[in-house]
Amino acid sequence: MIELRDVTKVFPGGTQAVDGITLVVHEGEFCVLLGPSGCGKTTTLKMINRLVPLTSGTITVGGRDIQKLRATELRRRIGYAIQEIGLFPHMTVAQNIATVPRLLGWRKAKRRARVRELLGLLGLTPVDEFLRRYPAELSGGQRQRVGVARALGADPAILLMDEPFGAIDPITRERLQDEFLRIQREIRKTVVFVTHDIHEAIKLGDKIALMKEGRLIQHATPSQLLAQPADDFVRGFVGTDRTLKALRLTSVREIMDSGPLSVRDDDSLAAARRAMDRLERSFLPVVGEDGLFLGWVGRNSVLGPPSVCVGDRITPYAVLGSPDMPLNEALALMLESATGNLPVTDEDRRLVGLVSFDRLFESLRQIYVEREAGEGSP
Amino acid sequence: MLSTMLRYLTTHWEYVGQLTAEHIRIVFLANGLAVVLGLALGIFISKRGREGLAELVLYVAGILLTVPSLALYGILMAILKALGLMSIGIVPVVVALTLYGLLPILRNTTTAVRGIDPAMIEAGRGMGMSETQILWRVRIPLAVPAIMAGLRQAIVMNVGIAAIGAYIGAGGLGQLIFRGIANTRADLVLVGALCVSLLAIGLDVALGVVERLSTPRGLRKGVRG
Repeated sequence: MIELRDVTKVFPGGTQAVDGITLVVHEGEFCVLLGPSGCGKTTTLKMINRLVPLTSGTITVGGRDIQKLRATELRRRIGYAIQEIGLFPHMTVAQNIATVPRLLGWRKAKRRARVRELLGLLGLTPVDEFLRRYPAELSGGQRQRVGVARALGADPAILLMDEPFGAIDPITRERLQDEFLRIQREIRKTVVFVTHDIHEAIKLGDKIALMKEGRLIQHATPSQLLAQPADDFVRGFVGTDRTLKALRLTSVREIMDSGPLSVRDDDSLAAARRAMDRLERSFLPVVGEDGLFLGWVGRNSVLGPPSVCVGDRITPYAVLGSPDMPLNEALALMLESATGNLPVTDEDRRLVGLVSFDRLFESLRQIYVEREAGEGSP
Repeated sequence: MLSTMLRYLTTHWEYVGQLTAEHIRIVFLANGLAVVLGLALGIFISKRGREGLAELVLYVAGILLTVPSLALYGILMAILKALGLMSIGIVPVVVALTLYGLLPILRNTTTAVRGIDPAMIEAGRGMGMSETQILWRVRIPLAVPAIMAGLRQAIVMNVGIAAIGAYIGAGGLGQLIFRGIANTRADLVLVGALCVSLLAIGLDVALGVVERLSTPRGLRKGVRG
């Protein structure tokens, strides 16, 4: 747990970088410090590991006042990742990752085992090959992975990350974010993460601390921040499309119509017609005997002799969703395919649900209802 | 002329070889001292908060380099004599060459140690390295190529200056030149000058190889694979 109490930083020269911040980051929580450049987020982060000395206030890490620990000792217990330039170019990947374990005096065998474990965890395989490489021999994304691995070197309970994915291309960044989320679910570190990118904050954070001019403006979960912005600054920062951003926070699984009604490919056209009439639908999903999703059948195509079965009239599907897909992606797919329905299938392409526009509107409405309810309370 | 030079070389190769060995010994002795002093002083003055001192030291070293070598030998001879040390021969020459060699090594060490990407230093500090650990594990290894370049420059420069040391009895290839001048024997002057030049070029090439080999592998150009 990290606790900041009335933390203030005034730089020599009089610039007030941080102004009375009080913030608690619980064990295993992913806290994003978000804000425009110059808002004091990086200064706040660096005060936690004493790279920047406090002017006033207290910070405790794991219940201990950081001022009472030796700076080097404190820092060795806290993982620290910055943009890729922080890797030591004269050291191999293995030596870079083993930096803190070496400072802590771990034995060689233990260090080596840890390095291998981390390379595997971050997908830098084959491990034997990456061990010996130098930073100059890696791509930007790989260097960033090494940076994260190095921060995790001595298995610290706390990670401080200063825009670690800032200097890489958007596609690699997305992938690294996804992987880091997966890893974080596994290792459950207490993370303080600095970024100016609202999308990154919403995607990664359990909590977001939005800062402006050295002050903490709002500290809330991503959905609270989007649904109940504290003031006009927050509203402006999260953007007018905040409702769309909120979609990202919900997965398809949460709102989909699971076990949707479908017709089998060996059903007759007449049976399909009856089902459509009963359900008042103009399209129905078609599945095979084994539950595999095959495509759609529409009202126009079920007119025909009763001897013909649905399987002969299938309209192939254009898009498929998966249960773990965030709603913003699902919406994009639906707009793209123009069917108004998104079939959701599992890994074996078995139909497990349907998302319709109606369902989406309902979930959006929920966000607004929440917001209105929230505005009534203090 | 060429034929007299060649004749001299073939008949006196042993003598020329001995002079070359003396020359190399003087240069290496002086630059060995210069490296030790230059590194120690360079690292000392490149610490944070000593920017003023660094400027002063580099300034003084720069001025030393502008003192003509003969004058410096003269000054050193007087000083050494006052101290009761050997005032002619190899000692004043080695001391003078050490002073000359100091500047390139000092300058390169200080610039390189101070010029490391601050983000890298902060990464080291943020992971819990002490300032001393940052110096030895990050700053110095990263400065090695620049330090080696400075050493190479110092050695090549000193090969030339060492020739003048023969004037005060330090021996070396300068002896051929001075004897040539005294006896109006242009062939001797040319043989001496040629040997000095060849020695400088040879050492420059050899040190270039050493410089490349001493560069940490991750810093060498063309490792990106």
